[in-house]
Amino acid sequence: MNIILIGMNHKTAPVEIREQLSISCEENSSPLPEIMKIGSLKEVLYLSTCNRVEVLARVTDEGEAIDSLREFIFSLGNLPEEELGKCLYVYRDEEAVRHLFRVASSLDSMIMGEPQILGQVKDAYRQCVEHGASGIILNKLLHHAFRVAKRVRTETGIANNAVSVSFAAVELAKKIFGNLQGKTTLLIGAGEMSELAARHLVNHGVGRIIVANRTYERAVALANHFHGVPSGFEHLGERLQEADIVIGSTGAPGYVITKEMVAVALRRRRNRLMFFIDIAVPRDIDPAVGGIDNVYLYNIDDLQQTVDENIRERMKEAQKAEDIIDEEVLNFSAWHNTLEAVPTIRALRDKVEGIMKGELERAPAWMKNLADEERKEIEILISSVLNKVLHDPITGLKEETQEDGAKSYIAAIRRLFKLDEEKK
Amino acid sequence: MMDILFFKIALALYLLSTAGYILSLLVRRVQVAKISTWILFSAFLVQGISMVFRYVRMGHTPVIVMHDSLSFFVWAMTGTYLAFQLKTKTRVLGAFVSPVAFFIMMVASVGLGGDVALPEMLKGWLVPFHAVLSIAGEALFALACCAGAMYLIQDGFLKHRRLTAFSRLLPPLGDLDRISHVSLLWGFPLLTLGAIAGALWARTVWGSHWSWDPKQIWTLMAWLFYALVLHQRLAIGWSGRKAALLSIAALFLLLAALIGVNVFFTSAHRFFV
Repeated sequence: MNIILIGMNHKTAPVEIREQLSISCEENSSPLPEIMKIGSLKEVLYLSTCNRVEVLARVTDEGEAIDSLREFIFSLGNLPEEELGKCLYVYRDEEAVRHLFRVASSLDSMIMGEPQILGQVKDAYRQCVEHGASGIILNKLLHHAFRVAKRVRTETGIANNAVSVSFAAVELAKKIFGNLQGKTTLLIGAGEMSELAARHLVNHGVGRIIVANRTYERAVALANHFHGVPSGFEHLGERLQEADIVIGSTGAPGYVITKEMVAVALRRRRNRLMFFIDIAVPRDIDPAVGGIDNVYLYNIDDLQQTVDENIRERMKEAQKAEDIIDEEVLNFSAWHNTLEAVPTIRALRDKVEGIMKGELERAPAWMKNLADEERKEIEILISSVLNKVLHDPITGLKEETQEDGAKSYIAAIRRLFKLDEEKK
Repeated sequence: MMDILFFKIALALYLLSTAGYILSLLVRRVQVAKISTWILFSAFLVQGISMVFRYVRMGHTPVIVMHDSLSFFVWAMTGTYLAFQLKTKTRVLGAFVSPVAFFIMMVASVGLGGDVALPEMLKGWLVPFHAVLSIAGEALFALACCAGAMYLIQDGFLKHRRLTAFSRLLPPLGDLDRISHVSLLWGFPLLTLGAIAGALWARTVWGSHWSWDPKQIWTLMAWLFYALVLHQRLAIGWSGRKAALLSIAALFLLLAALIGVNVFFTSAHRFFV
């Protein structure tokens, strides 16, 4: 195949090295023009995210290309060779294809199933096209990778379910209330954690935020941030009845919310469901609150447990994704194999002969009245015309096979004569 | 006898959608439930066609014989569920509704084909009016019960902080409670009007609105119980777990009135032997 992939990711390289590489990339926008100067590279894709730096290339000489690319990465990172060398991995042909598919499908990500990576691969491909660094093979390969990523996303549950504590809180809120539109959230304590959870909730439709904090100024500041309402601690009891979702994150040593407070609030709000999230340590909300009907209480450990469960679930789904990728790597190889000259020539001949036979069968009435011999003559005539027409392209193709350019000719012929669609 | 043919097709479709919903629970995919919803919808349509054919052939609204009333019950319940389905993301609730629909259709199919001539006293417009309203009300109550049962399951999962793949599949509590609430809210006036129509008719044939018939007494008890459930919901704001429990209990009382009385008591409300 002559496809290689060289690079490093969060599993092989420590963050100091990764950041060194990505910083140097930001400086000179894209290193693509630089990489393309390497002689044995025909097509190049350069992918750089905060967790990985990778070069995917179609090459004429594998050994030479790998050596030059290693050198290039060393110079880019400005780091000692032996340190960097240990972090690099190299994949060839099918393995390179598989790796690309895994990356695009987010199987190789730090948080498996996170969606950003596909966008980053798409950006890298756009750059590659803009710099004229893509050709027939990489175009096909990248589009194939996007398709694989989509298949993995829709056919497996790899991207389902929250894998962070604040997303888990949102997911639970949705399981309780259904729609979060028009719901009110009460933040008790104006810390960073509660702010993060509140932001997720607002992104998912929560309408109103009330912030209660011991120091009123902090409450005002955070409330302004969400266009919410600040409140002092002394009004907590009254505020509680307005809240559908309550997030506790104060540094208080004892319980801020007691069972009695919740019972009163629940009665006043006519038993509408309440969801309490206690992310404070030590806890803010009396665990007995969870025993009240129509009230759901989750503390930080419960949320973490949900997250762990979800991660395990994703791991299971990942196996299905690997199966899909195996299958797609085979598909890509099959396509790649059609780019050999011999099968293409055969397919072209078959197609033309098929057309001739078809037309003869549908021949007008007068031809049917001809003697067998005369009809034979006509058939010979037609096929010799066809052979003459095909002669030049076919010899041309055979000659090109000696050189590297053949693949694009073959691909062009397959496309112009629709040889691949024929099979389907 | 096109009505029988279409009834059989509908029965098969209910079986298919039930299997689909159960499969969706097993493989834990909402996608499968989506397909099952469409099958359920087609079952609803086919059954509707069957009822139209039956109306044309029999010449009266087909809700009076046991077979017809059960069939209409299923049709009303399925239709209401599908309407809710448009508004909320509660596809998986079908996993409760569809088997109930299929089971009752099976029971209804026992009376298939054996057409009984309508007694003279049951002719006239009041009887189908009474039957349609009462059965529609009961179908809504059955739906409230299904939603309530699913609510209790989901409540158990969320209360004990066990968010499994299964509980993820179940609809949100808020949606289930709303379905229960709206079903009760509409079912109650339907049943009430149905009972009034029945009482008016009773006056014309038995000479009195109320004759202390076991069927009447049980239905009145169920009606009072539903009035209580609705009162607790609307006036006191009972919702969620308690309300779900009540709507399940109320349906059992109603079922006792509908089926139990026919089996264990002699009732003037039995017109066919």
